[in-house]
Amino acid sequence: MASKKENKNSVFTKHEISMLGLRSNLVQSAFSYERMHAPGWSWAQLPYWQKIYKDDPKGLKAVMTDNMEFINSSPPLYPILMGLLLTMEEKHIDRPTINGLKNALFGPMAGIGDAIFWFTILPIVGGICASIAKDGNVLGPILFFLIYLFIFWTRIPLAHLGYKLGTKAIDVIQQNSKVISHVASILGLTVIGALIASYVKMSLTINIHAGSSVISLQKKLLDKIFPNILPFAFVFLLYWLLKKNVNPIWLIVITFLLAIGMAAIGWM
Amino acid sequence: MNITLVQGLLIALWAMIAGLDCWLQVFFIFRPIIVCTITGLILGNLQLGVIAGGLTEFAFLGLTPAGGTQPPNTVLCGIMTVVIAATSKISPSTAVGLSLPFAMLMQYILLFFYSSFSLFLPKFDKYAQQGNAKAFKRLNYVPIIIVTLTFGIIAFLSAYAAQAPMKALVTSMPHWLTHGFELAGGMLPAVGFAMLLKVMLKGPYLAYLILGFVIASMIPFSNVLPVALVGTVLAMIEFYHNRDQLKMENRIKEDEKNSQQTGGADDGI
Repeated sequence: MASKKENKNSVFTKHEISMLGLRSNLVQSAFSYERMHAPGWSWAQLPYWQKIYKDDPKGLKAVMTDNMEFINSSPPLYPILMGLLLTMEEKHIDRPTINGLKNALFGPMAGIGDAIFWFTILPIVGGICASIAKDGNVLGPILFFLIYLFIFWTRIPLAHLGYKLGTKAIDVIQQNSKVISHVASILGLTVIGALIASYVKMSLTINIHAGSSVISLQKKLLDKIFPNILPFAFVFLLYWLLKKNVNPIWLIVITFLLAIGMAAIGWM
Repeated sequence: MNITLVQGLLIALWAMIAGLDCWLQVFFIFRPIIVCTITGLILGNLQLGVIAGGLTEFAFLGLTPAGGTQPPNTVLCGIMTVVIAATSKISPSTAVGLSLPFAMLMQYILLFFYSSFSLFLPKFDKYAQQGNAKAFKRLNYVPIIIVTLTFGIIAFLSAYAAQAPMKALVTSMPHWLTHGFELAGGMLPAVGFAMLLKVMLKGPYLAYLILGFVIASMIPFSNVLPVALVGTVLAMIEFYHNRDQLKMENRIKEDEKNSQQTGGADDGI
């Protein structure tokens, strides 16, 4: 029971744990606001529970029913969570403990996952690949595909990690979740600052006639204050509106109205 | 050019593949940069697809489902940007703006699914209580099939069936309006970045945002990699600093514990 070398005691082969990593892709199969990932989360792990509880129909019913509770975490990090809970399941740790753990972990892991995958990796990878692609270079989309293919395969080692660490993973996750989100935020915001400067395109075409000379408002005034000051101000206007709980759809509408209005009066 | 029936069907097939990926988020081929490229390939204009992919990807960099709201759908936006640009012979940056209504249509369909798929839950619960693994697995395929087929149908109708009125609409637009859409395409990334900032921007991080902005404004380089490296350096410094601090705190705590214990023992004597 106390053995740390999981291979001798464990029910599952290495291959099966790898497959668990791949099956973790199913979590969003029946997504609904009511219980989010619950049906897919159960579906992904169902063959493993069937193996653990093959002579215990009551146990299978209990584990299936318990896992139909609400769960919402970061999809790319589910392999860790699944591996971790599977070790507890095969050791027949009592149900309330397993449920408690599941509920204690999926929230923090959602936080780490969003910070890493949506707010850091996507802006960086997407930004770099898109800037290659926008000149018509097909390496942009290819690079993007390869990087995300790599991220897809990390699900396998992550499942092994969760399964090997078992309950030890809990300390690792809870201790590091704050530091990881903090560090990811630093990287993410530095990159977002750069993205605003590089890819929000706004410049005035209006000229001021001062006597005989024509002064371009953009080149002679705004660019002298700071280049890209207009995009920066516009992003913060939208940010301020979001903080006032304006629906993002309205931000898109405002952007279009502003753009079309500016085009109509010939300012941009 | 016109979309042929074969091209329309290929686009529908591609929408089903990318749409399934969008639903499950597996390979990220549902991102505009990939969707546009493949659509361009289907229409026989890879170059256009790649360029449109780059532009549309920028518009959607911050529009992610992680912010808590479902954004306009990237699959439909990617497909329609390339389709409109190819059929109406307008620049991809104008087409991004025009494809947005289609992306929003799909967004609302997905929102409808997210709410209505609760109807499957009582069945899932029943199978779970019965321990009926086989039926439970089978039921999971139903929403997946519904979503996949919907993507195919909507993409086919948008790209193939609606092409004539769409073309008529685009060609009848006055210059200032198409120019307005082009401007909107360039400004659209701001919405996504604002949404990222809403989630991520807290007091201490403002400094990093400004730093990234200033570096990118000052160095003439075509992408954000140098700034990402500067960000990585800052993140590493902070990470090791934090780790050392954590170690130190733990050691202090242990020392305190030890001294208290010995103190307690002294009192006992």
